[in-house]
Amino acid sequence: MRVNPRRADWLMTLGLALATVIWLLAVEGRQGFGRDESQYMRAGERYWGWFEELATNLGQGKLRQSFAAPDIDHYWSDNAPDHPVIMKTLYGISWRAFHTCTCTGPARGLHPNPIRGRHRTLPLFSRDSTAFRFPAILFAALLVALVFRFARHWLSRPAAAVAAILTLAQPHYFFHAQIACFDAPIATMAFAVGFAYWKSLRDPRWGIAAGALFGVALGVKHNAWLMPFFLVAHYLWMRRGDLRARRLPRIPLAFLAMLVLGPIIFFLHWPWLWNAPIARTRAYVLRHLDHEHYNFEYLGWNWNQPPTTTGMKLLRATAPFVETGFTVPVTTLALAAFGAAALARRRREGALFPEAEPETPVAARPSWLRPGADVDRAPGAFVLVQTLGPLCVLAVPSTPIFGGVKHFLTAMPYLAILAGVGLTAISRGLEGALPLARARLRRAAPLALAVAVCLPAVLETRRSHPDGLAHYNLLAGGFAGGASLGMNRQFWGYSVLPMLPDLDGHVPENRSLFWHDVLSDAISMYKREGRLSLAVGDTGFGEDGIKRSELGILFYEKHWAKYEGWFWEIYGTTRPIYVRAREGVPLVTLYRRGAR
Amino acid sequence: MKWRFLSPPIRPLLIAAAVFLLALAETAVALLAPSRAPTEADWTAAAQEVRAGFRDGDLIVAAPAWADPILRVHLGDLIPIEVAGRLDDDRFARVWEVSQRGAHAPATAGGTLTLDKRFGRLTVRRVERHAEPVGYDFVARWADASVSRREAARTVACRNVGDRMQCPDLSFNYVHRQIVEVDTTLREALLAQPVAGAAVVIDYPAVRLGRVLVVATGLHDVWMRKAARGTVEMRVTVGGQTQVLPTTSDDSGWARTRIDTAARAGQVVPVRFEITSPAPYARHFAFAAEARG
Repeated sequence: MRVNPRRADWLMTLGLALATVIWLLAVEGRQGFGRDESQYMRAGERYWGWFEELATNLGQGKLRQSFAAPDIDHYWSDNAPDHPVIMKTLYGISWRAFHTCTCTGPARGLHPNPIRGRHRTLPLFSRDSTAFRFPAILFAALLVALVFRFARHWLSRPAAAVAAILTLAQPHYFFHAQIACFDAPIATMAFAVGFAYWKSLRDPRWGIAAGALFGVALGVKHNAWLMPFFLVAHYLWMRRGDLRARRLPRIPLAFLAMLVLGPIIFFLHWPWLWNAPIARTRAYVLRHLDHEHYNFEYLGWNWNQPPTTTGMKLLRATAPFVETGFTVPVTTLALAAFGAAALARRRREGALFPEAEPETPVAARPSWLRPGADVDRAPGAFVLVQTLGPLCVLAVPSTPIFGGVKHFLTAMPYLAILAGVGLTAISRGLEGALPLARARLRRAAPLALAVAVCLPAVLETRRSHPDGLAHYNLLAGGFAGGASLGMNRQFWGYSVLPMLPDLDGHVPENRSLFWHDVLSDAISMYKREGRLSLAVGDTGFGEDGIKRSELGILFYEKHWAKYEGWFWEIYGTTRPIYVRAREGVPLVTLYRRGAR
Repeated sequence: MKWRFLSPPIRPLLIAAAVFLLALAETAVALLAPSRAPTEADWTAAAQEVRAGFRDGDLIVAAPAWADPILRVHLGDLIPIEVAGRLDDDRFARVWEVSQRGAHAPATAGGTLTLDKRFGRLTVRRVERHAEPVGYDFVARWADASVSRREAARTVACRNVGDRMQCPDLSFNYVHRQIVEVDTTLREALLAQPVAGAAVVIDYPAVRLGRVLVVATGLHDVWMRKAARGTVEMRVTVGGQTQVLPTTSDDSGWARTRIDTAARAGQVVPVRFEITSPAPYARHFAFAAEARG
C-alpha cells in the first residue's frame, strides 16, 4: 500500500511532535526548578487569578473592575517589566486545567492566589510543575514539527526527520525545552517567524502570518526584537540585484505585517501595559537594553561585566562560537559543516538537491506581495543569517552572556537543518559511489547513516539529563572536560532536585536549612508537590542565612566561592558531608554545622 | 602517479565512512564515559591510603582542582581552614595528590615521587619536595600587630576588639583575619580596606626574618570587584627598607611578591604594611604574608 506523500509527511510531522512530547514528559520530572522558572510558575498562577476574577466579575456584572488599574496591577505586576506574558499565561492556564488538585491540603498556603476550594481539573499530571511545563513542551514539539516541515522543502523525508531529531537532541536545548521558561519557546517562535517569512517570499498569505507570528514572538521573549534584523539582512541579500541597479527593494508584505501586527499583538497580549502603555513599554525595553551582567563562567574566567582590554574582548567575542562548538553533538556539527558547504556550492537558481524545491524564478517582475518570486531566494544566505545572526549578536563583548547557549538557542534549529542538508549531501555521494548492482545496499546505506548520525545526539542528550547545562560534547570531554576547561556548569539552583530526599532526611537540622541559590518559590513548589517536607526550613540568603542555619547547600559556580568560605568559617569545617556530582564533577555540596 | 585512493568515486565513501566513524565514536563515548568517573569505593580506598601515611604539615590536593570538594568529603578533617585557604603551596614538604583522568596538581611539580598507587579510577601520588618553612605567619599572628590610620594631619590608633583591629570613626576601617575570595579562590588573609586620603598602617613590631618574605595581595569579593575599578597600593617596610608592591587591581588576582631577606635571616625586625588607594570605594583589599626559609 502506498501512502499519499502529503499524508505521509503529516503523519511524520505528528509522529515527531508526539515523540518529542513523550520524551520530554518522561524526563522533565527529574529536572529541578531554577530561580527563573519558579518565578514564572508563580507569575503564571497569579495571572490565572485575574482570569478567575474576570469570570467572577462578569457574573456579577462588574466586568470593568477587572480592567481597572488596581485589579490589573494586582495580578499582572508579577514579573513585570521583566518579561511579556504569553508563555507565563499559558503556564498558568495549563496548571489550572491539568494539575491534580491537592490544593486544599497542607500546602494550601503555598499558592500565590488564595485557594478557596478544590479545583475541578482534567488531572493529566500528578505534579503541578508538569502542568506548568506542559505548554513549553508543546512548543518544543511544535519546533520539531516545524523543522521537519521546513526541511521537507529541500530534503527527503528521512533527512528532514534527522534535522528535526537533531533539533531536539542537543543537551542544552533539551534542558531548556522541558522547563516553564521562554528560551525554548522563543526558539520555536523565531523559527515560525522565519518559516512564515520564507514562505511569504512566494506566497502572500504567509506575509500576514509572518506579522501575526512576530506579534506572538514579541509576547514570548525579547529575542524577538532581533528577528527583523536577520530577515532584513537576508532580504537585502536576496534582492541585491535591486541594490546593484540603484533602486530600493520594495518593502515586502511580511515586513509591513510585522510592523503593524507586531506592536498591536504585543500591546494587546499584556494587560500590565494597558493602563500606562508608553511608560511601561519603555520600562520593559530599558530593562533589557540595560540588563545587568550576571556572573557566568567561560574558559576559566568569571564574566560579570563587559571586558575592558582588547585581549579579553576578543576572548569574550569567541563565547557563542566556542559554546556552540562545545555543546552541540560533534556529529551534528560535522554534518552542519557539510551542509553549509552544500548550500554554498548550490548554483544560483538551481535546486539544492534534485528533489528539493526549485529556486527558479516563477515571475518576471518583482512584487511586494511575492518579493521572492522573480529571484533566487538565496536559501544559503537565509540559513546562514538565521544560524550565525544570533551568535554574532552574543559575540559583541558588551552583551551579557550569563545565559550561555540559551541566549542563542534560536540558531539551533537552523544548525540542525544544516546538518540535514549535510547528511543529504553525504548520502547522495555515498549512493552514487556504490555499485548500481547493489541496489539494496544503495538504499540501505543512507538510511543506516541517518540512524547512525542521530544515535550520538540522542545518547549524549540522554546522558546529559538532568544536568544539561553541565554537559559538554566530545570535543570538550564531557562533564569532566567542561569543568577542566572552566566552562559554566549550572545556574540558578535547579540542580538540587536529586538531593531533596537526602535533605528531607536530615531531621532536625533541616529545619534551619540554607538553600543558597534556590529561590523560595522553588522550595514552595517542591513542597507543594510533596517532594519536600513542609517542615523543612529556609534561613534566607547570604552570610546571615548561613549563620542562622545548621545545614546548607552550595552550588558550584565560580562567583559563589565566598559562600564556601562562609561555610568554612561559620560551620567550622572544610568538610562537606555530601557532594552531588555528575561523572565526578561537583555540582552541589551539602555542609552540616560542626561536621568533622 | 595518481593516488587512486582519493579518486572521485572513493571520496564520497571516505566521507561517509568518516562521518559514520565519528558518530560511532561519539556514541561509544556517550555510553562509556560515565564509567570513567571515580566511584565512591575508589575515593574511600584512596582516602584510606592517604590517611595511613599522612603526617601533620602535609598538603592534600585534588587533580583536577575541580574535584576538591569531593576530596574534602573524604579527607576534609585533614585539611583545616588555614591549609584550604593557604597563601600558596610552597611551605609544604610533602604533597598528597588524589588525581583522575591523568591530571596533576601544580603543587606536585618539581618534587620527587615517593608513592604512586591506583585505586580504581583514582591515583594517589605522594611527592616530596623542597619546602620553605614558615617562621612567621602574619595572618595567624594578626594580634601581634598595631594598626593605625595615618591621615594628613594626624595618626589615629586602632584597637583590638576581639576579632579584629577596629579603627575609630569609620566602620569599614579595620583589619580582620578571615577567609577571603580573590579571583574566585578562597584564601585565609587579612582584610584591610583602604581609606580615602589616608593610609592604613599595620605594624608588626618584632618579626624574625627568614630568607624570604612572601606577600600576597588581592581584592576580595566578586561583587566588589564588579562594583568599582579603583586600585590599591601596598608598601612593605622591613627593618627600615621599603618596597612598593605591584599595584592591586580587579584583574591582578592573588599576586605574590617575594622580598629577599636572606641577608638578614634570623634577625628580629619591625615590619610595616601601608595600604593606600586613590579610589578606595568597594576595594576590599586582602593580603597574607609569611616570613620563610
